[in-house]
Amino acid sequence: MTKEKKFEEKMEELENIVNELENGNTDLDDSINKYTKAMQLIKECDEKLKNVEEQVNKIVLENGEIKDFNIEE
Amino acid sequence: MNDVSKYLTVTALTRYIKYKIDNDENLRLVFLKGEISNFKEHTTGHLYFSVKDETSKINAIMFSSNAKKIGFKITDGMKVLIVGRISVYEATGNYQIYVDEMMEDGIGNLYLEFEKLKKKLSEEGLFDKEKKKPIPKFPEKIGIVTASTGAAIKDIISTIKRRYPICKTYLFPSLVQGENAADDIVNKISTAQLYDLDILIIGRGGGSIEDLWPFNEEKVARAIFSSKIPTISAVGHEIDFTIADFVADLRAPTPTGAAEMAVPNITDVVKHINNLNIRINESINTKINYQKLKVDSLRNSFILKNPMLIYENKKQKLDLLFENLNKNIFINLSNKRLLIDNFKNNYIIKNPNILYEKQKDKLLNIIQKLELVNPLSILKKGYTLTYKENKLIKSVKDINKDEIIKIKLHDGLITSKVIDKE
Repeated sequence: MTKEKKFEEKMEELENIVNELENGNTDLDDSINKYTKAMQLIKECDEKLKNVEEQVNKIVLENGEIKDFNIEE
Repeated sequence: MNDVSKYLTVTALTRYIKYKIDNDENLRLVFLKGEISNFKEHTTGHLYFSVKDETSKINAIMFSSNAKKIGFKITDGMKVLIVGRISVYEATGNYQIYVDEMMEDGIGNLYLEFEKLKKKLSEEGLFDKEKKKPIPKFPEKIGIVTASTGAAIKDIISTIKRRYPICKTYLFPSLVQGENAADDIVNKISTAQLYDLDILIIGRGGGSIEDLWPFNEEKVARAIFSSKIPTISAVGHEIDFTIADFVADLRAPTPTGAAEMAVPNITDVVKHINNLNIRINESINTKINYQKLKVDSLRNSFILKNPMLIYENKKQKLDLLFENLNKNIFINLSNKRLLIDNFKNNYIIKNPNILYEKQKDKLLNIIQKLELVNPLSILKKGYTLTYKENKLIKSVKDINKDEIIKIKLHDGLITSKVIDKE
């Protein structure tokens, strides 16, 4: 299984598709395929942004151990 | 013994001491080094502090006019070089140094070192713009090399949490000042490379130039340069740059600034995606509507709705051609006919005798003119011509008595003899 694309890559792909559809001379079939792809990307990006868990802060210790790191506020 | 006049007033004594000190060549221009303590800045801008070393201490005042020229922040414990004069403040009886100039001790050497390294690394291309890696717009994992305590890490984490809570942070705790700091920073930068990070923030909070020094060291600069992860330097000092700032892919003035540069604001990203959503819907709708319109317009096109028109058009054209052909033949024909008629009706052809009549008239005319000049015609009127031996006589002198002459009339000759002449 290929690794899921990073948010950054998805956003870039999304922006490219929007620009292409706005300016390009893509034919209708191609446009609709791209549109479907873009809708999928929007859904994924949106989910990622809405899925705000507790912020994950880690500390990487000298021995390579990774622990949660909290700042006291 | 109680001669009061021997006793000095405090003012007099103080003035005497002040006079002695003010007139001492060695105390008029003093170069002093020491450490600052009890530093206070008055609202007027005058600076009050002490300068001390291990065993001694002297009060110091620096008036605002001179204090304004200091290019660094003064803190207690700072080692300084001072130029000033010694005098006495009469109200307290304290002698103190009136500071004209002050600079950080050791800064001169550090500054030279800094400039030398900066030049060297710059020539090597470590600061080149083309070598700067782009900072990802939407990082998911950010590494931080700084101290695990203190304001810097708090500022960075809380700023990221506020702006972009979906981003994970990995702290690589490091010494950030002191002798071992540079090595530790280098280590942590290289450890961070093993983690799948989008951005690496390297920095610390503000401090004196000595505190920040690890960030001016060559090995730190080289570690930052060779980082595969895009780096943001975050050394808390707004005015000066460190070497780390020059070599990092992006320079932030403070740790908070670094966090702001590293992550977007999540509400902006949400807005941006919504905006993209609207744009893509609009553009696909435009595209579909356009195609629909095109199909409709084709379907409704006149010719497809009235296929007979294709035939009718052709027929009409044929009719027109036929008509034109007839018309042209007729015109051609009638033109020729007209020409023939014209010939037929020609006056000369119709009246050929006119040619003869004209010549006859002309001849008669000539005859008449000839008639007019014929000398014989004069004779008809009664004039005569007289000849002598066939010569026309024009004067009496040409003729003598008894000579024979001939007189010509219009209808005959008379032969006569001259009887007399007058």
